[in-house]
Amino acid sequence: MQPAIRLLVLASLAVAPLIQTNTYWQHVFGVALIGAILALGLQLLVGMAGLLSLGQAAFYGIGAYISAALTMRFGVPFILAFLIAGVVTAITSLLLVPIVKLPSSSLAVATLGFNIIVYLILLNEDWATGGSFGLLDVPPPHIFGYELTTERDVYFLCLAVLVLVYLGLDRLVHSRFGRALRAISQDEDAARACGISIIRYKSKCFLVAAFTAGLAGSLYAHHARYLNPNDFTFNKSIEILIMVVVGGLGSLPGAVMGAIVIVLMPEFLRSSGELRLILFGFLVVVLMGVSRGGLAGLAPLLTQRMARLRSSASAKSAEPGEIKS
Amino acid sequence: MSADQLVQGLIGGLAIGCIYSLIALGITIIIRATEILHFAQGEIMMIGAMAGLSALWMVDLPFVLVLIVGMLGGGLAAVLIELSIYRTLRKLRVPLINVIIATLGVSIILQNVARLVWGSEPLRYPPLFRSRGVEIGGFAVSPQLIWIVVLGFAMMALLQLFFRYTRLGIAMQAAAQDPDAARLMGVSVKRTTTYTFVVAGVMAGAAGVLLGSLFFASFNMGFLIGIKAFVAATLGGLGSLSGAMLGGLAFGLIETFSGVLISTAYKDAVGMVVLIAILLLAPSGIFIRPGRRI
Repeated sequence: MQPAIRLLVLASLAVAPLIQTNTYWQHVFGVALIGAILALGLQLLVGMAGLLSLGQAAFYGIGAYISAALTMRFGVPFILAFLIAGVVTAITSLLLVPIVKLPSSSLAVATLGFNIIVYLILLNEDWATGGSFGLLDVPPPHIFGYELTTERDVYFLCLAVLVLVYLGLDRLVHSRFGRALRAISQDEDAARACGISIIRYKSKCFLVAAFTAGLAGSLYAHHARYLNPNDFTFNKSIEILIMVVVGGLGSLPGAVMGAIVIVLMPEFLRSSGELRLILFGFLVVVLMGVSRGGLAGLAPLLTQRMARLRSSASAKSAEPGEIKS
Repeated sequence: MSADQLVQGLIGGLAIGCIYSLIALGITIIIRATEILHFAQGEIMMIGAMAGLSALWMVDLPFVLVLIVGMLGGGLAAVLIELSIYRTLRKLRVPLINVIIATLGVSIILQNVARLVWGSEPLRYPPLFRSRGVEIGGFAVSPQLIWIVVLGFAMMALLQLFFRYTRLGIAMQAAAQDPDAARLMGVSVKRTTTYTFVVAGVMAGAAGVLLGSLFFASFNMGFLIGIKAFVAATLGGLGSLSGAMLGGLAFGLIETFSGVLISTAYKDAVGMVVLIAILLLAPSGIFIRPGRRI
């Protein structure tokens, strides 16, 4: 995508809460940005490395609970808790190192199993997580002495984190590391022959994806200010996967767009009442059919169609007898 | 653990295991024929349960007929989805991951259509059997569970016979193993793929009626069970028929006994730990079948 369009997206994200002053919507926008951070992390796994992970919500939950517990129980400042949440979540992802060598469909089911285990721990270890009642009254984020209490302030915090994560991943993808990942996703044997250690690269991917999910979890904890294990079921993991694929596999801007669309679409469809989720399902199916590359693939597809229409129109006017189908 | 708990656990585990097996078989034959991870399989099971229940509301049917209505319902739902959505997606030649995400979309659609039609409250199946327990070797066992095990095994046996002895079954196996060679032998792969979805839907519909009669039917009963069936199929080795059957039974037993022995809160977690352990020790599942790798 053109840099100009990226700046345009950023600018519209920056003004969105200034135009829409309703706090409910500002809250939803914040959730969309957190979703975008999650989707960026998963994009690295699924889109770049071809690792179909269905356990991203587990890391999201771990980050959220760690950050909430640190600030609530131990009075750790938000910034520190935020970073610790990311780092500790990344470390827990090392648990998955043994399973990265599995073939993709088994990997999907194994990560899903991991998600279910983490969910059950969050649900049942009441002493640490508050169990099914959840954690109430998570403090709002404090940054350098400022307390971000309004939805708009938290939104801008989320936006700042999103931009940093995006830039970080963008650099990563265009580095040697990113090229190695693309090589792996195209042909593992050839990549191994080129001296790429497959397991190490795949594990690093899990590490980075878990780190971003941990950061997103921390943001969510202090944004929603209430945590419940039900926010971190495998349904959430699947939702993140839908964001990534709807946005377009392998495209970082796509992941951001996919997340925003998937979070906002049910809200916009709210007026259709009971048909809302049915429509949502249909839109997912239709989008999967019309565009190979998701939303990110839609723009070039449209320009292509337009160009083809134009050329066939001009061909028609020039030579009416011969029309290419 | 007492002997009574052991017997109850065995029967209960086998009953729920049969239900997982029936769904896992559908998932497996779909993977073999199309490589699609069919996440809507649990929802098709739910449609089967709802179809059976609706038939019961209208006329007082014997259980076997309810089961058949459920199978028809599941098969019909599957064929409609296959013809309207999956076939179109295949025609558009979209990447596999797109189709997999589309099955998630289908699952959302089915759940919410079912909520519109049957409401969001869990619906109780009327008692289908005499409630008095059956005595086996001195242990009182619910006849419901015995019926589920018997019918489940009968269905799986029928499926095996279908694949081994009917022309269509053999053609479906051939198309799954090597589509090009099957085409050369005059098999319409397009048709066998559709039949694969039908057979999978029929098995899931049967599972739905069996599960509904055990607990209840609700619009969201399918998704978690579908996921567990996936785990069961992976446990047995994705892509193997006997693996799916044994994996389902094993998963049902593991779940039931870990509920009794370890803790009810963590019974799902035990199944997942076993799954991950087995995948690490034998990445292609316990029951490895030489042939097509997935």
